[in-house]
Amino acid sequence: MANGVTAAGAGRDVREGVDDRLEAFLTGIDEPGFLTERRRAAWDRYLALPMPTTKSEEWRYTDLSDLDPESFEPFPPAVEEGTAAGAGLPEQAARLLEGMEKRSGVAVEVDGAVVHRRLDPELAEQGVVFAPVRRVARERPGLLEEHLFSSDVAAMEEKLWALHVALLTGGDVLYVPRGVRVPEPVHVLRCATGAGAGRLLSSHTLLVAGESSEITWVEEYLSPDLDGELLSLSGLEVVGGDQATVRYLALQRWGRGVRHFSIQHVETRRDARLSGLNVNLGGDLARDDVTSHLEGPGSESEMLALWFGGGEQHFDHHTLQHHAAPHAYSDLLYKGALTDSADSVFRGLIRVDRGAQLTDAYQTNRNLLLSEHAHATTLPNLEIEADDVRCSHGATVGQVDEGMLFYLMSRGLDRTRAERLLVFGFFDEVLARVPVPGVQARLREAIGRKIGI
Amino acid sequence: MPRNETVESLDLDEYKYHFVTKDNPVFKSRKGLSEAVVRQISAQKEEPEWMLDFRLRALEIFNAKPMPDWGGDLSTLDLDEIYFYIRPQDRMGRDWDEVPDEIKETFERLGIPEAERSVLAGVGAQYESEMVYHSLREEWEEQGVIFESIEDGLKMYPDLFREHFATVIPPADNKFAALNSAVWSGGSFVYIPKGAKIDIPLQAYFRVNAERMGQFERTLIIAEEGSEAHYIEGCTAPQYSTESFHSGVIEIIVKDGARFRYTTIQNWSDNMYNLVTQRAYVHRNGYMEWLDGNLGSKLTMKYPSCYLMGEGAHGEVLSIAYARDGQHQDTGGKVIHVAPHTTSRITSKSISKGTGRSSYRGLCKVYEGAVGSRSNVECDALLLDETSRTDTYPYIEIDENEATIGHEATVSKVGEEQLFYLMSRGLAEEEAMAMVVRGFIEPIARKLPLEFAIELNRLIELEMEGSVG
Repeated sequence: MANGVTAAGAGRDVREGVDDRLEAFLTGIDEPGFLTERRRAAWDRYLALPMPTTKSEEWRYTDLSDLDPESFEPFPPAVEEGTAAGAGLPEQAARLLEGMEKRSGVAVEVDGAVVHRRLDPELAEQGVVFAPVRRVARERPGLLEEHLFSSDVAAMEEKLWALHVALLTGGDVLYVPRGVRVPEPVHVLRCATGAGAGRLLSSHTLLVAGESSEITWVEEYLSPDLDGELLSLSGLEVVGGDQATVRYLALQRWGRGVRHFSIQHVETRRDARLSGLNVNLGGDLARDDVTSHLEGPGSESEMLALWFGGGEQHFDHHTLQHHAAPHAYSDLLYKGALTDSADSVFRGLIRVDRGAQLTDAYQTNRNLLLSEHAHATTLPNLEIEADDVRCSHGATVGQVDEGMLFYLMSRGLDRTRAERLLVFGFFDEVLARVPVPGVQARLREAIGRKIGI
Repeated sequence: MPRNETVESLDLDEYKYHFVTKDNPVFKSRKGLSEAVVRQISAQKEEPEWMLDFRLRALEIFNAKPMPDWGGDLSTLDLDEIYFYIRPQDRMGRDWDEVPDEIKETFERLGIPEAERSVLAGVGAQYESEMVYHSLREEWEEQGVIFESIEDGLKMYPDLFREHFATVIPPADNKFAALNSAVWSGGSFVYIPKGAKIDIPLQAYFRVNAERMGQFERTLIIAEEGSEAHYIEGCTAPQYSTESFHSGVIEIIVKDGARFRYTTIQNWSDNMYNLVTQRAYVHRNGYMEWLDGNLGSKLTMKYPSCYLMGEGAHGEVLSIAYARDGQHQDTGGKVIHVAPHTTSRITSKSISKGTGRSSYRGLCKVYEGAVGSRSNVECDALLLDETSRTDTYPYIEIDENEATIGHEATVSKVGEEQLFYLMSRGLAEEEAMAMVVRGFIEPIARKLPLEFAIELNRLIELEMEGSVG
């Protein structure tokens, strides 16, 4: 949708005075005109579009009827880096930061304000940019104009995407020039404190990987359990240039009270290799909409996800593997386990355009139901318009293997512990595909904590 | 050998059915749909009051429901241009001699008399909207099997009919089920008594003739406890330039321990919209099998379903779709596990050729409490040309943790190695291609009665002609 923003200010005068909520939000923000125009155009779209309902296919299993986005107060976007008045590092974040080694860059955002940022100086010398969206917009607008909010978002995601763009509270840009390899992960912590109740947080990530460059990006969302509700809107856009290698990982471990919506668009150019992993552990509701556009011949996209839901948690995953170019490869593996009354949805589509010959595309969704009230829905779809392709998909829903449980229990583990161990093993197939040791360990720890091992 | 003759006369050359027999209908309703048309149909059929009320209620539901916005493209379907009822003659022909010559001629060309003399036991042939010919082997009558037109079922067995009618597919189920409920005409009423085992399939031929005529056949089948039977429905329709429309409703009740198989081979001409609702309720230890072959029509949307209502029930859907230029086969199956220890399997094979599009659409639902349920779905799609398209849209909704559910689908083209091997053994490329395609559908074809399996093979040979080079 974002490309439709050109007519930005056109309707401004007409609407003036009718709805100035966005203008009130923008008061005192110092940002370049093009960013403001994109916000305004998005706000117009937001107002024009209806909220998605369960009557539409895409939202059939996730009910937003009790969500009123406008009842949430956005965090003020005005605070500049390092000047967050009084916003100390939350204890949890500080602890995480301490344990974090070998990172080429780190940023910590608390309640919408960046309180810490570091990038290895030698990378900065090589032209790597790692900075907040608004600062890049001011200092290097050329890096953004082409790519920022340029994703071709699906119609049913547009309402929330428009709101995300209009009310952007923060976010980061990582730009890596041609041929530069960022050796260690760049890690961003996006935290909310107890003050997050009743607020809206809208963070965006733009990763631009130049030709033959290499990036590993980790973004982590965390908060304590909240007394009220927090609405988190997150967007991630990745442009992988020719032969670039980009790995990204989104670890969602919000506390209770958070509804998290994430729209992620990945675009691969010739021979680029992309890999994305989404881990959903926290929040009341998490909805990921992940799209890989394979635009370049010979490119690859790996799409991974894990989730573990308990209580009344609801996780909804939408994926699109869009093969627009020949000779491309995509492989999706989404695995989830649910206990208590949690439920999850997987809806994935492989679309192969006419002419995208010699496509290899795979899609697998596996679900473990650990309690009698847990629900899983899976909809793995294919739309194939080229004939020389190899495509397959598979989906399963089942329980932990009784034989394996029996074996572990015969070794002295109680049933619960044996079951958790098997769930951990179930997830390991995905974790093993994250080839960054420091990140892998961190994920295992977060998952272990959530499962209760 | 009569069977071979049957097969000969059922030659699947698509142009052979392109003939139009001059018809002379006794009664033809006005184009389009209104309350008056519905009242007229009901009056013509001398129906009881409750059926008229049922039709009128269904019409309201139809008018209230929006057109489906998923599946195939229905934008060129204009319901105002359709005749909702035509009755070719005043009464049922029981004896072949009583059937009018013109209609006989049509059947002759379709090979019905030969079929009659060979394996076919009871034939309900539907020419336009009503059964004009109906016979049933004597021994079945002795067993108490009922195989009548749906109209006669209502007249002759009013209580049995009313007890079961629309209990499996209520009018509010979907827009086209509502439409059918309002204007249904023709179809079969079948009752298999307790313990009866019918070896030879019950068979009905369907035929649509008058231009722009909607056919709303309605079939109600009751298989009593421990009974076994097989029902076959085959369709052909002559080709016309304007759109044609077929919207049937098939309801089947499979009682405890009964086994029932329903086979459809549809080869409508390629201007036909074929929107059918087929559903079976399967009770304790019952076994229901849908064998669904979709070869013709412009657009077919049909998802035979099994509601597994009793413990130990089994549901099976075997679906084969063939989409050639301009065709869209949107087909599949649904299995709904309501009771514990129920099992189901859906096997779907589709072939797309030219600009044809075949879509698998299915549902596997397991309700909480259906412990120990198992379901497996397998879809394979074969693409023959770079302009062909295939889609897979399975829905899997699981509310019970003690269930084992799997779904798999693959899409491929005919392998170069396979073709090379066959050609190295002396087959021409066309023959090799036909052989690979036949092998692809073999798991389903072998479940068909012989004459249908041969038909299918012939069709594939025919379709492969000129498909290479």
